[in-house]
Amino acid sequence: MQRIPIKLAKEGMVLAKDAVTPEGQVLCGVDTSLNEELIARLKRQGVLVISVQGHPVRMPGELSLSEKLKELDKRFSKVQNDPVLRALKHLLGEHLVVEEKGAEFLEKLKKGS
Amino acid sequence: MDKAEIKKRLNDIQSLPTLPPIVSKLNEMVADEEITAVKLGKVIEKDQVLTSKLLKMVNSSFFGFPQRISTVSNAIVLLGFNVIKTLIVTSSIFEVMQASDVGLFEHSLGCAAACGIIAKRRQIKNPEEVSTAGLIHDLGKIVLRSELPEEYEAIVTEAREKGRYMREVEKERIGIGHGEIGGMLARQWNLPERLVFPIEYHHKPEQAPDFKEIAAIVHFSDILIRAVGFGNGGDPWVPALDHNAWERIKLTKSQMKEIIAELDEKLLELQDFTLEIKVEG
Repeated sequence: MQRIPIKLAKEGMVLAKDAVTPEGQVLCGVDTSLNEELIARLKRQGVLVISVQGHPVRMPGELSLSEKLKELDKRFSKVQNDPVLRALKHLLGEHLVVEEKGAEFLEKLKKGS
Repeated sequence: MDKAEIKKRLNDIQSLPTLPPIVSKLNEMVADEEITAVKLGKVIEKDQVLTSKLLKMVNSSFFGFPQRISTVSNAIVLLGFNVIKTLIVTSSIFEVMQASDVGLFEHSLGCAAACGIIAKRRQIKNPEEVSTAGLIHDLGKIVLRSELPEEYEAIVTEAREKGRYMREVEKERIGIGHGEIGGMLARQWNLPERLVFPIEYHHKPEQAPDFKEIAAIVHFSDILIRAVGFGNGGDPWVPALDHNAWERIKLTKSQMKEIIAELDEKLLELQDFTLEIKVEG
């Protein structure tokens, strides 16, 4: 799932969460596939950000998945010998992979290794 | 500068905005056992700027109430007076922080969100109080930054470049860590011990004289939010885990997974919140 500003919304993206106005009014339900007309309507109604499935947009300055995993490693560099924190790092790494590539990708990755 | 001198200097803080006068009035009112949330709310609501700041904080996603809280007295009933008082006392500090160190502000908000998630799971009576402890756990860093800016800069640089923890460098250079400094200040402001101890002992929660569970939650939330990489707490390193504290609040792998997902959602909402603040100035 990725949260993106409405101006980066494109036809074909699928909502991962309800699209709501800043006042909290729900305009469009989860799993809706966006089209130009719908995007224009959301903009008109004042929606600022939406959550979409997958990770379709690379934001400026945003790291790639492998860079994100490298950063994760670096942050944990002083606690590598702690088994609890090692397990935490592992879970966070998996979370990053699932966020970008989806759960099936992680399963395949696990089977492969 | 030795530790005594630093302490003296911190007791006589000049650089941070002074406490709003309303705080001492509220303290007096709370001492009166007859006082009601409605009466307290009325006093606070006389200050419109404070009221709007307060309502913005209580409605932000780290407390996560499903309905919008629209009055101060409602906020007092729902969150408890300790939380409201702390938000009032620290509101000016957070303004300073938003302007001078967005990274630390985000780190604090993120830690508060993690504290709330874990406290709710552990069915702690007032989880918002634990969130609030998380929100101000790095108070000492804000004080250091504004009171001893050159030392603070040197501490941050050394921690980053030499791969060390800030609190170690603080102890070496000024003889006192940010946890202890934050605790001193929180005490000076008459915040309750349920908040003072978790701030003071967030790196050594088992040494807290009381409220060890809250201290343990703040300790682990600080680790978790650094592990996720949200915000900037000064040095970029995930701190060491106190395993006795971990035994106290231990989470299974599947619970941890759920918490990571829940936290992720909250952090996205928090990003909107900090963005809003930046836009509104």
